[in-house]
Amino acid sequence: MALLELQGVSRHFGGVRAIDGLDLEVREGEILGLIGPNGSGKSTAVNVITGLYPPSAGRIAFDGRDITAAATHRRLSKGIARTFQNIRLFGGLTVWQNLWVAQNSARDRAARGFLSRWMGGQSGAREGIGKLLAFAGLAGREDELASNLAFGEQRRLEFARALAAKPKLLLLDEPAAGMNAGEIADLDERIRAVRERGVTVLLIEHHMELVMAVTDRVAVLNFGQKIAEGTPAQIQAHSAVRKAYLGGDH
Amino acid sequence: MDFYFGLAQLIGVHTLLGLSAYVVLLTGQVSLAQAGFFAIGAYVAAMLTVLAGWHLVPALGAAALTGATTACAVGFPALRVKGLMLVIATLAFGEGVRLFFFNFDYQIARGDVKVGPLGGEGFRQIRFFPENGWTTLEVMLFIWIFVLLVMALLWWLDRSRYGAVLRAVGEDELAAQSAGINLTAVKVSAITLGGAIAALGGGLYAHYATHIEHLSFGILLATFAIAYPIVGGLASVFGTLAAVLFVQGFLVEGLRDLGDWRNLLFGALIVLAMNLRPRGFLDAGNLRAIKRLFWGGGRGAP
Amino acid sequence: MLDLLQSASDGVLYGATYALIGIGFTLVFGVMHKINMAYGAASVGGAYLGLMVLKLGAGLPVPLVFFGSFLAGGLLGWMVYLACFHFIPLSSPLATLMSTVGMLLLIDEVIVHTTDGMPQNYPALFDDVMLRFGEFTLRGDLLLVFLVSVACMAGLLALLYRTRLGLATRAVSQQAIAAQLCGIRLAQVNVTTFVITGLLGGIAGAMIGAAVGTLSPLLTTPLTVKGLIVTVIGGLGSVPGAIVAGLLVGGFENVIQLYRGVTERDLYVMLLLFAFLVFRPGGLFAPAGGRN
Repeated sequence: MALLELQGVSRHFGGVRAIDGLDLEVREGEILGLIGPNGSGKSTAVNVITGLYPPSAGRIAFDGRDITAAATHRRLSKGIARTFQNIRLFGGLTVWQNLWVAQNSARDRAARGFLSRWMGGQSGAREGIGKLLAFAGLAGREDELASNLAFGEQRRLEFARALAAKPKLLLLDEPAAGMNAGEIADLDERIRAVRERGVTVLLIEHHMELVMAVTDRVAVLNFGQKIAEGTPAQIQAHSAVRKAYLGGDH
Repeated sequence: MDFYFGLAQLIGVHTLLGLSAYVVLLTGQVSLAQAGFFAIGAYVAAMLTVLAGWHLVPALGAAALTGATTACAVGFPALRVKGLMLVIATLAFGEGVRLFFFNFDYQIARGDVKVGPLGGEGFRQIRFFPENGWTTLEVMLFIWIFVLLVMALLWWLDRSRYGAVLRAVGEDELAAQSAGINLTAVKVSAITLGGAIAALGGGLYAHYATHIEHLSFGILLATFAIAYPIVGGLASVFGTLAAVLFVQGFLVEGLRDLGDWRNLLFGALIVLAMNLRPRGFLDAGNLRAIKRLFWGGGRGAP
Repeated sequence: MLDLLQSASDGVLYGATYALIGIGFTLVFGVMHKINMAYGAASVGGAYLGLMVLKLGAGLPVPLVFFGSFLAGGLLGWMVYLACFHFIPLSSPLATLMSTVGMLLLIDEVIVHTTDGMPQNYPALFDDVMLRFGEFTLRGDLLLVFLVSVACMAGLLALLYRTRLGLATRAVSQQAIAAQLCGIRLAQVNVTTFVITGLLGGIAGAMIGAAVGTLSPLLTTPLTVKGLIVTVIGGLGSVPGAIVAGLLVGGFENVIQLYRGVTERDLYVMLLLFAFLVFRPGGLFAPAGGRN
C-alpha cells in the first residue's frame, strides 16, 4: 500500500523546471532510495513533499489523504519528518531541548493537554527523549549546546530530532554527506533499526554503496523527471541510469 | 530617600518595557512597536481610573488585555512580512499610535476642571496615587510586585517547552517549521504576551508620572525597549534587568553631573557594546560561568 | 482643484528628498541585507557639516555649501560603516541593527550639543524665483531641490548600470557568494556602498535644509521614518521603487496636509504604509529573486 503518493508533481522556479511531472510512490514499510545527478531535483522533491515549496502542479497524498495544500508543520504532525542536507539544528539550544521542541506528533498532542504539553516541565518528556538519546549515541550529552557538538554527532542529533515526532515516513536528505566509512556503516545500521520499528524511509543519497546496500527499491531522477525505478540490482544494470551518471553511450 | 524610590519606579517600569521586547526577540523578531503598546496601556489605564473611576488594579488588567488584543491584531498581518520589513512595519505602527494620541481628545467636566486626554497637551492629572494617599515607597513596592511577577513568569516560561520553542523559532525558522512548530502561532503568541507586558508597564508609568503625552512614547522609547534585552543579552531575563539598571541607574542617574552629555554617552556606549559583545553582556556562555560559580559544576540549574 | 494640484506638485518636488533617503536605505539593504538606521541622522549630519563651509568663509557661493554637505555625507557614511558594520560579525543581525540605532542617537546628540539645539539657517538658491502658470506656481527653490535630486539619481543609476563598480554592487546584491567566487571583494563593495549612500544622503540633507530653510535635530526622526516607509512602499532593495515611492509619499502627504492639517498628516502616511503591507507586501517594485 502506498504511504506517500506523488502524482504529476511539478515545481518551477521562473523558467527552470526543478521537478517536472513527477510520479512517485513510497510503499508502507519500505526503504526507498531516491538518486540522481546533482541538480536532478532530489532536494526540491523533499521540499515539495514537506511543504516548504508549494508544487506548481500535481497532487500529493499521504496515508490516503490529500496533503497538497497542507502547511509544513501540519505535515509533520501527520507523520512526515525530515533531516536536512546541510544540518539545521537549533544551535543555541541544548541537545535535550532540540529533541524536546520537536515532539509534535499527533499522538503527543492527543496524549497531553495543552497546558502540560507547552508549559509543563521536562518530566513528561524524559522517558521518550532518553530513548532517543541512547539511539543516537548521545546519552550523557543532553546539556551540551547543539552548536558545540562534533559534525557526526550533529548528524545523529538531527536524525533523532526527526524521530522525536514519531513519524510514519522519514525523509533523509543526503545523511551520509561528509561521513567516513565507519560512520556510514553506523548510519546503515540506524536506518535499518528505524525501519524495524515500522517507519518508512525515503533516502536521498549520493553514496551508491549505502543506497545499494540498504534500500528495497530505488527511483532515479534526471532533469526533474523519473527515468528509472526498480530494485537496486535492476537499477545498477539499467542503461538510462548509467547514461545519466556517466554521460555518453555506455 | 524619595528620590531613590522614584528612580526605582522608573527602573521597574523600564524593566517591564524591556521584558516585553525580550519575549518577542526570543523568536528572532525585532519589534519597534513596544512603545506603542506601552502608550496604549498608559492611556487605557489612566482613562479607566480618571474618567471611569476604576481602581488601579482592574484598570491595569484591562490595559494589559487591550495591549494584548492590539498586539495580537497587529501580529497577524505584520508577521507575514519577515525580518527587516517587520522592523519597519512595527516602527510605523508605534509612530501611528503616538500620532493617534497626538490627535486624541476625550475630555469630561469634573467640577470646574476638565479631565481626560487632550491631543498634543497630553493627559494631565492622573491622580490615583495622591488621591488615595499612597507614599512614594508604597508606589514603588506596588510597581515592583508586578515587575517581579512578570520576571518570574518569563523565567519559568524559559524553562518550559514553550520557552524552548520560542528560541527554536529564533534560531532557525525553516528547521522549526520542519520540526512541526506552527510559526504563526508561536510568533503571534509571543508578540501578544509582549503587548500585554508593555501595556502593563505603560499603565503603571501613567500613574506614577501623573501626566502623559504623546512625545514620551516616540521612537526613542521604542529603541530603549529593544536596546535593554539586546545589550543585556537574550540568554536570560536577568540580562534585560542588568541593562536597565546600568542605563537608568548608572548612566542616567549615576552620572547626573555630566548633564546632557549622558545622552551622547548612551549612543556611543551602545555602538561600543555591540562591537565588543555582539551577543550582549549576559550571553549563554558567561551565564553558565556564573551558574558554575554559584551552584558548582555539574548540570547547573535544572 | 487648483489647491489640490498645487499641493500635490509641491509635495512631489519635495518628495525627491524622500526618494534620495529611500535609495540610501534600499541600496544598503540590497547589498548587505541590513538596515542602516543611522542613515537619516547621518544625512542631516552631513548637511550640518556642510554648513561649516559657510561659517568658515562668509560670502562663499551657496553651491559650495551643497558640495560640502555632499562630501561630508560620504565621510559620515564611511564612519557609520566602520563603527557599526566592519567589526561586527554578519551572524549577529541584532548587533548591527542595534549599533546603527546607537549611532542614530549619537549623531543626533552631537548635533544637539554643537548647536545647543537651536535650528540653523540653511541657504537656499532661487528662493525668490516663482514660475507662474496662471494661478499655478512652481517655487524656484523647490524646483532646484527636485532637479538636483533627480541629477543625483541619474548619476547613481549611471554608476550602477554603466560602471564595473556598479556591476559588482549589483552582483553582490543578487548573489553574494557567487560574486565573491568571481573575485569581487565583498568588504570593498560594502564600504563603497556606504560611502555612495552617504554622499547621496549628504545631498538629501542639503536639499531638505534648502527647502525648509533651516536645519534642526528634530528633522532626523521623521526623515528616518519617512525614508523607511518609502523603502517598503517601493519594495526593499529596489532603487526605481524608492524613487517612485519617494515622489508618491511626498505628494500624498502634502495633499493630506491640505485637507486634514499637519497634525494628522503623518497618521495618514502610516495608513498608506499599512495598506501596502497588507495588500502589496512586496512593494511597488518587488525585486526579482535576491537574497532572503
